[in-house]
This record gives sequence, C-alpha cells and structure tokens, in this order.
Amino acid sequence: MSLGQGLEDSAISQAIKVAGWIIPLLQSIHIVTIGVVFVSSLMIALRVFGRMRADEPFPVVWKRFAPWMWIGLVVMVITGVFLVLGEPVREFTALSFWLKMTLLAVAVIITAIFGRTFGPAAASRAAGSAAQAAGAYAPTRDEFSPGAKAVAGGIMVIWLAIIFLGRAIAYDVEVWGSLSLHGT
Amino acid sequence: MTLMSLVQGIQDSGIAEWMRTSVKAMPVVESIHVLAAATVFGTIFIVDLRLLGVPNVRRPFTRISDEMLRLTWTAFFVALITGALMFAANANTYVENTAFRCKMVLLLLAGLNMAIFQLVTFRTVGNWNTDVRPPTAARVAGALSILVWLSVIFFARWIGFTKGYHFEAPPADVNFSF
Repeated sequence: MSLGQGLEDSAISQAIKVAGWIIPLLQSIHIVTIGVVFVSSLMIALRVFGRMRADEPFPVVWKRFAPWMWIGLVVMVITGVFLVLGEPVREFTALSFWLKMTLLAVAVIITAIFGRTFGPAAASRAAGSAAQAAGAYAPTRDEFSPGAKAVAGGIMVIWLAIIFLGRAIAYDVEVWGSLSLHGT
Repeated sequence: MTLMSLVQGIQDSGIAEWMRTSVKAMPVVESIHVLAAATVFGTIFIVDLRLLGVPNVRRPFTRISDEMLRLTWTAFFVALITGALMFAANANTYVENTAFRCKMVLLLLAGLNMAIFQLVTFRTVGNWNTDVRPPTAARVAGALSILVWLSVIFFARWIGFTKGYHFEAPPADVNFSF
C-alpha cells in the first residue's frame, strides 16, 4: 500500500474529510497567509529595487516585513500539512505538488541567505562605518548590485510559480498532460 | 431584459464557451485570480495594520496608503477581470450560489467601509497622520476591513466546494450545506 493511500485511510484524514467545512477553511487560511508572505516578500524585493520605502535603510524594511513573512510561512506550512493529510492521494499524485514543494524549499533557502547577507545582522556587523556611526542615511540608487537585484527578482518569480502550482494541483492532467502523475 | 436572461446571455457568450472548453484556461485564470486576491489582501492588510497602530511605528499613514493603494487597485482590477471570466463560464450556477452571493455582498461592504473612511475619517488625516494610535473611527475602519476581506476570501473558496459543477463529485457523506 502506498504512503498516500495509507494516509488517506488514517483517522485524521477521515476526520478532515467528513467535516465539509474544514478543507475550505484551511484553504482560506492558506490563501490569506500566501497574501501575507507574498506581499511581505514583494515589499522587500521592491525595496531592493529602490521602488518602495527608499527613505528607510534596507535592514529597517527587512525587520518590518521579515517576521510577517516567516510567521506567515509557518502558518502556511501548518495549514498545508493538514490539507495534505485531508487529501493525500490528490496531492501526492499531482506533479504540481512536488514542483511546488521543491520551489518552496528553494525560495526559503534563498530568502534566508539574502536576509543574512543584507539584513539587520549584516548591518550591525558593518556598523563601524562613519556614516552608520553618525546615524546618517543616504539612499543611493545603486545600493544593491545587479546580482542582488536579480536574486530578489528571482525570489518573486519563484513565488509566482509556487502560487500558480498551488492552484494547478487541482488541474494536474489539464496543466501537465502526459507528464501528470495521475493514474501512474 | 431580465436579470436571468442577462446571466444566460453571459453564459452563452463566446468567451464563456472558451473558458469552459479550453483545457488550460480555467487553471491559468484561477491562478491569476488567487495571486491577485492574495495581493489585494496583503497590501490592504498593511494599510489596515497601520490604522490599528501595528507595528508601532510613526511612518505617516498617507505615505503607507499611497505606496500600497496603487498595488491594491492594480491587483483588484486583475482579480475583477479574472473573476468575471470565471463567472461567465458558469454564470447560471454562480448567481444561484449562496457563497457567491455572500461574497458579492461582502465586497460591497468592503467598498462601503472604504468610502466612509475616505469621505469622513480621512478628511482629518492631517491631525493623526503620524500618530501611532489613530482615532477610533480609523481603527474601526481598519479592523472592519481586515474582517470583511478575510470573509471575502473564505466565501470565495467556499464557492468552489458548493457550486455543483466540480469535476469530481464529493462523497455523499460530506455535508457542504450552510
């Protein structure tokens, strides 16, 4: 018996299925937290591009949005786990699901590295500079290298793909055709 | 023309037919709708939290609302277009659907809340723009906005479980009724 089928028959999966309101409620919370995580990530990316809150130093913007992003992610993962427990076979047999999980891991790792490189911790490491000591902050258009901007933009592209793949789980055959894992 | 014949006309239109028959149209349009809705909620949430004084910063309210609302309206417009496409595909079922009707009423409430805020509370923004704790009317508007938009998202998702034309019929023992 497959893992998916085993989970499908488990007591918790049955409980989630039988109460008809649980899955829509979990999906709603999941979408709300996607809004929080996606927009927090977008604010950080737009700041990297100098298009949002350019009057504030990057570490301040990171400190404002990163906690919402991480807490949102935790809620998203928790609701996601229950959604998988509710319909394990539907998820495990969708190619979109596995691609989404892979991209999610990539997005989290890259975002964490980005935060360590440019966030408040990095700023306090570099706090010896005269400008920092004087408390003066002069934003410049080229504060971030093209590489850093590419990474910030790349994270947003990954989030777009994750959101698309999330909805595509319901349409695995329609989206992937013969590549779909349904029926295998 | 009665409302129902208008709805029938929408459902019989070429674009509705395309939405129903194209294999990839529905997943793509739905994904864009979810993305747009998530962006609407996320950006409005930032403005609403500022009205509630969370997080505790003195960034002027008008600066935050100016930054966010362009994104909010763009995303709302995209959600409106993709939503209209989804509606057209099964217009007859949507108008009869309780969750859909609730969602539309809630969207009107969200608009009403915003209009009252703009026309009344916002007129005095000069007095509280940099306050960590804006006046009660502003905080109520922020809290109501969060509540209404959360409800919009819940009822929107509920439509998918009650609309009655899902490809996979739900098991008989699942109770989806209100």
